[in-house]
Order: sequence, then structure tokens, then C-alpha cells
Amino acid sequence: MSDESSVNGESQANEGSPVSEEPSADDDSPTGEPSRAADSTALRAESIVQSFGDVDVLSGVSLSVARREVAAVVGPNGSGKSTLLHVLAGIAAPDSGSVSVEYQRGARRVGYLPQRPAFREGFSARDTLSFYAQLLDGVDSEDVDATLERVGLGDVADRKVGSLSGGMTRLLGLGAAVLGDPSVLVLDEPGSGLDPAMVERLFGIVGDLAADGTAVVVASHELPAVEAHADTVYVLDEGDFLASGSPEVLLADTDTASLSAAFLEIIRAQTGESTVRAGAGRRSSESRVGHRSSESGVAEAEEVPTDE
Amino acid sequence: MSDGSGTADTSETGTERPTAIVQDLFVVATRELRTIVRTPALVALAAAFAVSVVGVAWAGTGGGGGFVPLTLDLLTFVEVLVPLLAVAFGYRSILGDRETGELDVLRTLDVTRIAYVGGVYLGRALALVSLVVGTLLVVGLFVPFLTADIPTFLAINAAADSGIRYVRFVVLSAAFTLVVLAATVGISAATRTVRTAFALATALAVALVLGIDTALVAGLAGGLIADNGLAALLALSPNSAYRGLVLSSAVGVVGGADVAAGEPLLNGFGLLLWWVGSLAVAVWRVWPAVESVAE
Repeated sequence: MSDESSVNGESQANEGSPVSEEPSADDDSPTGEPSRAADSTALRAESIVQSFGDVDVLSGVSLSVARREVAAVVGPNGSGKSTLLHVLAGIAAPDSGSVSVEYQRGARRVGYLPQRPAFREGFSARDTLSFYAQLLDGVDSEDVDATLERVGLGDVADRKVGSLSGGMTRLLGLGAAVLGDPSVLVLDEPGSGLDPAMVERLFGIVGDLAADGTAVVVASHELPAVEAHADTVYVLDEGDFLASGSPEVLLADTDTASLSAAFLEIIRAQTGESTVRAGAGRRSSESRVGHRSSESGVAEAEEVPTDE
Repeated sequence: MSDGSGTADTSETGTERPTAIVQDLFVVATRELRTIVRTPALVALAAAFAVSVVGVAWAGTGGGGGFVPLTLDLLTFVEVLVPLLAVAFGYRSILGDRETGELDVLRTLDVTRIAYVGGVYLGRALALVSLVVGTLLVVGLFVPFLTADIPTFLAINAAADSGIRYVRFVVLSAAFTLVVLAATVGISAATRTVRTAFALATALAVALVLGIDTALVAGLAGGLIADNGLAALLALSPNSAYRGLVLSSAVGVVGGADVAAGEPLLNGFGLLLWWVGSLAVAVWRVWPAVESVAE
């Protein structure tokens, strides 16, 4: 795990990320279970800068995600989450920086679930995935059926896409993303607009996919689900990571009881409204709170307001 | 998106084998064909077009008057309706996938831009050209049955009414259809919202049907366009080029006088320019290239 412990550290926000280190007996999570993050790196993004006109959307963010790891990117609306995911999925080229997928296990390297997936209405769920399967080497109709079962749509495989519920459509999007066993799965707001049961079901599937060896990056506002299923949480605001670490560590660092509360504390600390309790003695070695990247992409620590 | 210097090796753009590109192209084309067949609005539009063409032929002099009169009856009709059909078939072809996010998903499958745009175009073109050609051929079949003087099918005479002339008209109509469909697919690839795409596609149809010709006539009347430059300018308008080619090769001498139809070579080149240019714009604009990692 990372030995980055100081809020005034000079390394990149994600340098020494938990995912890039060899697993060891000490890599236990606070729950006492071995962390899924303790595995080889699957996705590495370094110093990603992205601007649209005069607007800097991403300001030199870096992260790495290991096989079997669920990394969640959380942040306010407009913080740059979708742009970051586009870059990670290879859909957009950053202005500078690099993204690399460092291993391949299936027919494709990256699977992507867009924020509001939709499909051609005249086709069934099976037809839809069959189309994608034909574009992948070595993926056949059996794989399509297995994928439909995997995402829980086996019973509605022949139902027209137009008659699927919003949750089922999202699951079909997940099916399209996981078809061909991608090394890395990039999911943009998979739970947005879904009821809590469907969100839990969807995140459960995501957890299972990670357990099977996929590296997952998910942007989400569903913080309870993120808290339950993510190994690492990156808090993104105004194009930069304010904090990162396991949910348990972020809770401990912010002295809060839920990831939602921790998130608010981190955001408020950033805007100077409140306090992140950043005492070095309390700060876990797994989290970094209050970092801001400089223009060169090297993280610089900000003074975190404190009333202590 | 950005055309920045950053790199991503999550895509294999530009590295696919030609056979894979062709295979992907046909997979995409097949989906486009199936989409059209399963879209009731397009099927209804196609039926309306077919019935209208038959109606025009039947009501006009065509059926009973021979192939050349039929061609002249249908020429304006095709010039007006085919651009409108192309708008309906093409303006959301790529934009629809962009809106639903399927375009982004396809990109993670390493589908190349040529395979995707080519597939979308091929599928839509097969449907639309089949409709136009099929309808025109069916109408053409009326002529031998309704004309008192059975035409000479194999005669090639400047003044003769011939089935071969009508076939030329059908082939040129297919080419015209391919060109205007390419233009609407180009618009679909280049735009990001339905409103913009619809507005541009409609403007294109209006420009093709009325705008360019009206501007040329106004230019001639106002002395802005010299008589000797008219042929080249006509060739720049798909409708004028198509009309010129039909008049020169499928109609020929009407009433003993040559038809002023511009320069066939220039007209053919004009249509080719629109076709290649439109598809090139579509490939260029459908999504930005993401460089392979330089490491």
C-alpha cells in the first residue's frame, strides 16, 4: 500500500498508488480482508490534461487501477468525471498525458458503459449484443448468451430493447461493455436514475466482474454503493483529485460515518467552508486529502483549512 | 474532443487488417439494413415514394407514351423526392448512434472510422438505391404493355425511344441517390445535435432542389455568370449534373433538337466530387483519431 502519508507530500497525487505495489501480507483492508487492489496494474493514466477552449477540465490527473480493483471516481456535477472516463476508455485523446492498458486478457482491452446508454429499438437484447459480438474476434453466440445471463438479462434476451425498463437497458449497456472480457471496464454513472435495488444489483455485478479479474473504473453519484463496493475512491473536483483512498480511510480521515459525509467534507474543505481533519497522526498511509496538481502535473499540497 | 498531443493505447485505430475492416463494414451495413426494415416511419416513407412514382407514371404520359416521355415525367419528380428521401434515411444515421452512446461503445471495439462510416453508408445506400431503382424499373415495365408501338429494346439511336435509354435513366438515378445520401450521411457525422442535423439536411435538400439552380439563373440574368462558364457551374450542383446527364444520355434528341445539358464529363465529375467529398467529411468528422501510445 502507499506510503504517501503527508498532506504536504510532493509526489503526484497517485504516485505510490496502492494498485501499483506488489501484494503483501500487510495489504489488508481495514475489514481485515485482503484488498482486491493488491494486484498488478491494468490501467495507468499519467498527468492527464484536457481543456475545452478556455475551460480546463482535467488538470494533470494520474491514476492507476489494478486487476480485480474497483476504482470509483466521485465528484460534483461538472467536475470532469465523464471527460476523465472518456480519456481512460480511449474515446478521447487528452491534450497531454498518457493512458495505457497494461495487459490484455480477452477480445478487447476496454469496455465502456456510457452515461445514458440506449439502443436501436427494433432489436432484441440478444440481437443487440450479437451485433457487438460480430465486431469482436472470437466472440460467438454462446458468449452473447453467457453475457446476457451474467448481467441478469437471460430471461428477457428476446425482448425488444424498446420494451426494456431503464434498469434493464443499463444492464444491457453493461452487457455490451463486458462482452469480450475486457481487461478494463469504464462505467459512467451506471446507477444514475435507477432505484436503490437496481443500483445495488448493478454494483453487485460490477463487483463480480472485478472478482473475475477485470479492472473497473466507475464514476458515480451513488455514494452508498460506492462505499460498499469500491476498493479505491478518487474525489475529483474542478479537474483534479482532492483525495483518494479506500472508503474506510476517507471516512477515518474526515471523521465521518459515511462516504457521503466524507465527500461533503472534502468538497467543503476545498472551498474553505469547513474542515478536513488532516492531522498527520490521524492520516492513513492510504489516503491523500487536499492535493492540487500544479500546471506541470506534479501534485502540490494545499493548506487544508482547519479549526483545530 | 481534443486533437491534443496526449496519447492513449486503449484504441487500435489504424492498425486493423484490411480484411477486418471489410468484415466490420459488412457487419455494420447489415445492422443498418435491418434497422431500416424495422423502422416503420422509413418503411411508410418508402411505400409512399413507390406509390407516388407509380401514380405519376400512370397519370402522366409515361405509361402510354414510351420510355423517353416516362423519363421526362419522372425526372423532376426524382430530383425533388430523392433528396427528401435521402434526408429521411440519412440525417440521423450516425447522429443516432452518437446520441445513444453506441458510437463510443463501438470505438472501444476498435472499429475503424472507415469501417463504421462505410458500413452505415453501404447499408442505407443499399436500402435507398433498391427502393429507387426497384420502383423505377417496375414503372418502366408498364411501358411495353401500355405503348401501342412496342419500343425497340436494343436500338441505340439518337431519336429512338428505347428501353436502354430508360435503363440509363435508372442507373443515373441510382448514382444521384448515392450522392445525395452521402451528403446527408456527411451531415449526420459532422453534427452533434438532432436539431442542427435536421436543419442542415433540410437546407441541403432545399439547396439541391431549388437553391443552387435559382442562384445560377439569377447569376445568369444579372450578368454575374458568363455563358461559357455555365456548364462548369451546373456540374457543381448534384441536381443539375444529374439532370444534365439524364438529358444527354437518356433523353437525347427531343423533337429533332439537341438538348442543352451541359458537359457530361463535367457533370459526372461534379457528382463524383460530391460523393467523395461527402464521405470524406463523414469519415473525418465521425470521431477524432486517438493516437497510439508513443512509449
